[in-house]
Amino acid sequence: MDPHDHGHAAPDAKPDLSLGERFYLREAFKGMAVLSAHFWKNLLGFRAADVEVMDRKGPGVNMVNTINYPEEHPKYPPGYRGMHRLVPRVDGRPRCVACYLCATACPAQCIYIEAGEYEGEAIEKYPIRFEIDELRCIVCGFCVEACPKDAIRMDTGSHAPAVLSRPLAVFDKSALLKGPAVEHASDPITYRAELKTMAALPPEQGGRKPGGRGH
Amino acid sequence: MATTPTARLASKDFAPAPLPVNYTQSRWIGGQIVSWLAFFGFLFVFSAVVLGVVRLCASFDENKLKAGGLGESIGNILLLVLVFVMITATLLTMADRKWSALMQDRVGPNRARLPIPGLSNRPLAGLPHIVADVLKMLFKEDFISAGAAKEKLLFNLGPLLSFGPAFMLFAIVPVGPEVKVFGKVIALQVAHLDWGILYVFGLAGIGVFGTALAGWASDNKFALLGGLRASAQLVSYEVTLGLTLVGTFIAFGTLRLDEMTVLQGATEQAWRAGGGDPTLLFGWLPAWGIFLQPLGCVLFIVAAMAEIKRPPFDTPEGESEIIGYFVEYSGLKSGLFLIAEYVETVVVCGIITAMFFGGWHLPWIEPALGRALLDLSREHGLALLAVFQVFAFVVKTLALIWVFFIIRWAFPRFRYDQVMRLGWKMMLPVSLANVVVSAGVFLWGGRPAMAVLGLVELLALGFFVFFTDKSPVAHAAVGHGHDDAHAAPAASH
Repeated sequence: MDPHDHGHAAPDAKPDLSLGERFYLREAFKGMAVLSAHFWKNLLGFRAADVEVMDRKGPGVNMVNTINYPEEHPKYPPGYRGMHRLVPRVDGRPRCVACYLCATACPAQCIYIEAGEYEGEAIEKYPIRFEIDELRCIVCGFCVEACPKDAIRMDTGSHAPAVLSRPLAVFDKSALLKGPAVEHASDPITYRAELKTMAALPPEQGGRKPGGRGH
Repeated sequence: MATTPTARLASKDFAPAPLPVNYTQSRWIGGQIVSWLAFFGFLFVFSAVVLGVVRLCASFDENKLKAGGLGESIGNILLLVLVFVMITATLLTMADRKWSALMQDRVGPNRARLPIPGLSNRPLAGLPHIVADVLKMLFKEDFISAGAAKEKLLFNLGPLLSFGPAFMLFAIVPVGPEVKVFGKVIALQVAHLDWGILYVFGLAGIGVFGTALAGWASDNKFALLGGLRASAQLVSYEVTLGLTLVGTFIAFGTLRLDEMTVLQGATEQAWRAGGGDPTLLFGWLPAWGIFLQPLGCVLFIVAAMAEIKRPPFDTPEGESEIIGYFVEYSGLKSGLFLIAEYVETVVVCGIITAMFFGGWHLPWIEPALGRALLDLSREHGLALLAVFQVFAFVVKTLALIWVFFIIRWAFPRFRYDQVMRLGWKMMLPVSLANVVVSAGVFLWGGRPAMAVLGLVELLALGFFVFFTDKSPVAHAAVGHGHDDAHAAPAASH
């Protein structure tokens, strides 16, 4: 019966219980049966290997929905604004041209850049040091929006890891440079793998002279 | 790429980590079978070790044909009280939390780790937490508040009087039969007292002093409330506790737990003579106390839970309201109070097993198993059977403990007036009626008639549990059964 039925009854009113309910033992046994069912199912069941815990079903799968956090964590949704990465070019070097726009835009001032120069390349500048203090970062995403070269993204799908000392939270270039490489049509042609392949082909198959486009 | 520590951290955290172990169905089934076999195998080996060590201690005794010598008692105290009860109680501190977690679809404590190579990254079912808890209890400051320092003796006596009697209770619990092992008769029972179960009541009475003294000497209003609640509850339920057992005394004609246990199954002489189990009721039901006295058994379990202050009868502790009589204790003394509850649980489950669930008797298969083992070894067959019997006792006790823990979460805590009403207005009259009816039936037709009465009671219980109407009864019927409705705590929420 619906327990809310008694919501408006006077405090002294006797609840409208059936004989079995008033006998108490039946309800007690029912409660114990529910607990035992949960106990045995969780004791004998195993955890399904997928991390989407709320969907765990099927024979032998227990009802424990806990995620043992440091050992496991769930997938974040697509588009999750997580930890930064420096986007690499196809050749593995960072896309960053050390323009300082991200460091300027950063309200937490957590980005430190030292610029260096390439000799005789289409893109002349690159960061010698690129460090982000993940403890200072407020994950606002302004750096991503400020970047003119799509060189910094927050699409790693994870958050900054917990660390035991502060220096460990300062991520340097080698730590930040990861993930799939990106190239754009606006990139100089000498940096574009696809166009370089096409340039090697004869013109009737779509080949072009290198250096015709880009800036 | 990942060379610096930061880089290693970053590469580790790039994607969601997979589960540590990828289970497959077959591996899971295999693991289940192995772990259950290992569990029961361990209990079996433990039973054999207990018998063996007690036999070793008993070899210092003169009389080879009689159980109960000094060496044997010392062996029993070591193995049963210090090893069996103490270790089970220690494990129960963790089992309580882990089992509760399983009932509530949680994982339970699993963060503590043992700094041992190979084990340092395994939760080990939460067992390292026991080590952590014990170390914490041992090394915490033993703080005594200014008010409690005025009555330091009584203050210190509180935990001792709670803890000591709990252990001493196990002295009369028969874990195994009297059996000849390597030419010396031993029994897995510390003390063979003619007044048997009365010893339990006496010591339970001393336990009241522990809680009352703790509550009073703490010089704290909440502790005093808890102590008062505890003493009132314990005194009230002792009456029921005693009365429920009178029916059992009538059925078995003895106060001794070991004799009660013997009467609940086939005696050795009976099955050695070739017959089956002559004690089976109606030829198929084991003559366990629960079948002779079902009502007495249920009432005793409830009264015993109130007596050891297990939930739902834990108003004296009531963490969420008054914290309880041990609120002023810290460190080891607080630990003594906490562990005493689990020790009492083990002991009470042992007593219930011995009185109502056939003790060390194996139901139905005992004669056949005994004959098979005697065929195996003329000399040591009975000792081998005793190992199985000790094993049966341990398994039954553990199963009962598990039921106690299920009950803990199945019931909300009774309010204090509900506890008193249940004790005095419901359980006391029912247990008195049980005594009168049992005595009358016993005078009229002896134990067979009691078995019939027990069966009728069980059927009535089953009827109420399974066949009572689910729809609300008519209003007139509610008015009719008023007195019952008052007494049942379910009626007042």
